[in-house]
Amino acid sequence: MATIFKLAKAVADNKEEVSAEKKSTKNKQRVLALSSRGINYRQRHLLNDLEALLPHFKKDSKLDTKFKLGVLNELAELNNCNNCVFFEVRKRQDLYMWTSKTPNGPSIKFHVQNIHTMDELKMTGNCLKGSRHILSFDKNFESEPHLILIKEVFTHIFGVPKGARRSKPFIDHVISFTIADNRIWFRNFQIVEKDPTDPNKKFNDKDVSLVEIGPRFVLNVIRIFEGSFCGATVYANPEFITPNQIRHSINIQKAARYNKRKMAQSKRQLKIANIDMSEDSANESNKED
Amino acid sequence: MPIKAIKAIKAEETAKDLSKEEDSDTQHVKESDESSSDSTEEEEEEVEEEEGGVALDDLSEEEVDEDVVPQQHVTINNKSVLKKIYQDIKLDVPWIETQAITSLEPANIKDINNDIERELTFYKQALEAAVEGRNKTTELGVAFSRPDDYFAEMVKSDEHMTKIRKKLIDEEQKIKASEDARRKRELKKFGKKVQIERLQERQKQKREDLEKIKAMKKKRKGIEDTAVDDDFEIALEEAADKDNRPNNNRPNKKQKTGKPSKRTYKDTKFGFGGKKRHAKSNTAQSSGDLSIFDGGKSTKKKKITKTRPGKARRQAARNKRQ
Repeated sequence: MATIFKLAKAVADNKEEVSAEKKSTKNKQRVLALSSRGINYRQRHLLNDLEALLPHFKKDSKLDTKFKLGVLNELAELNNCNNCVFFEVRKRQDLYMWTSKTPNGPSIKFHVQNIHTMDELKMTGNCLKGSRHILSFDKNFESEPHLILIKEVFTHIFGVPKGARRSKPFIDHVISFTIADNRIWFRNFQIVEKDPTDPNKKFNDKDVSLVEIGPRFVLNVIRIFEGSFCGATVYANPEFITPNQIRHSINIQKAARYNKRKMAQSKRQLKIANIDMSEDSANESNKED
Repeated sequence: MPIKAIKAIKAEETAKDLSKEEDSDTQHVKESDESSSDSTEEEEEEVEEEEGGVALDDLSEEEVDEDVVPQQHVTINNKSVLKKIYQDIKLDVPWIETQAITSLEPANIKDINNDIERELTFYKQALEAAVEGRNKTTELGVAFSRPDDYFAEMVKSDEHMTKIRKKLIDEEQKIKASEDARRKRELKKFGKKVQIERLQERQKQKREDLEKIKAMKKKRKGIEDTAVDDDFEIALEEAADKDNRPNNNRPNKKQKTGKPSKRTYKDTKFGFGGKKRHAKSNTAQSSGDLSIFDGGKSTKKKKITKTRPGKARRQAARNKRQ
């Protein structure tokens, strides 16, 4: 009995080793991309752009609920995905992007601002559909533990794995993430080589120029959760102000203007009512003269 | 600084010490010294506000001060767990699998609203990554750039690209047209100046010539008796020629540029140019003119001379005839 157990254990150990080796050399990522209901055109175009740029994205139909996000883990599993990008739209205007490593986490919730899609005519670059790109991260990403984690998740989700299905073997664009103003700025550039004839030549700054392809957006971290769409909060951005609060304060400012005007009107009416226009008062004033 | 805030900071410091001792402590107050180094005034204000409140969790019962406003919003930044999660999901694969490059220097944008500065920073970071990525891939012997004969579907369709190109061309043309217009405007301004200068020059020349002739005539009167100098005669003629030339030319020019006779006739009949408004309204002069009133009076008083004599006279005359 003991020998059988030993044998089985040895086989199992061996398998584990092999799988560990495989795991270490191959980057296998598939991303499920979907949105909630109530998405508007610009946000939808952004999602489409991301799908066009990243061949390992798998787009799914809109999710009906905004509350039971746990189902996303199951959905991702059904689609053989180990990552998930979920666009949560609130009030048909505020876009929150969830990036999650399904099924075990972590998951990060961002607020997406300043969306510009690829369809805009001012972005003149172009690249192969499904070509791989270079991911460029700002040095600031190494300054804080939560940023390190975000960077790692972004390399999984926004980096096209080598040999991914539908991907093309050339590199012709750069996706850059920069931290500025406590936000993460996303940019996508085409690489234009001045002299692409000599492939083995070492390059410097002057041989390459960049043209923006799009899309552009700005991410503001809200929270990082331990699990995938669940679990304890391990990081919460103290400087995040919800768009509702911002709108509220704007409304209050506007209301202040209205109140001031109404106050002035009522004051004036009171003043007019207090003026005594009877004959007695007129006579009195004449006597005084 | 108000006493409340100082108290709060003290409480916070003790809380910090506690959290340092207990490594597993999950929630700690946001450390003000981290962000204050490069923060703006607004942020400092925020930080001060936050200092006013202390997380409830971090206060032991003895330290609770009634003056301190308890802070409801607790900042969560659980660094140890974040690091652990990072270790769990970290990919240990060769570079070519991910192609992620971190820039050498952190992006430092002074004014986030300055579009040019901001985009330039992004561009520089991406460019650095592109160059380094290209060098790395070529070192590994992986194809980087697409060969010329490799055609495949692009992210943006041809239709879209023609739109972009058209827009670019349109913009270029717009800029060109506006520049042209500006140049023309300036030329016009300059041209007028030149014209005025030329006219002035011509007048000056004319004046000088006339003076010359006058001077010569005077001179001639002075030496009337002496023999006529040939040189003088020639000079005089030349001067006269010069003087006459523009005069001779003028009428021709006028004929050329002048209006047709029909037009001039119509202009004399109906009037041309000048102010049309207030032509019929009174002026100081017209209202001061009282002649019409006098004239009216005189016409009324004027007696009509009777050509027919009275009845008596007529009868007397008849009697005379008979």
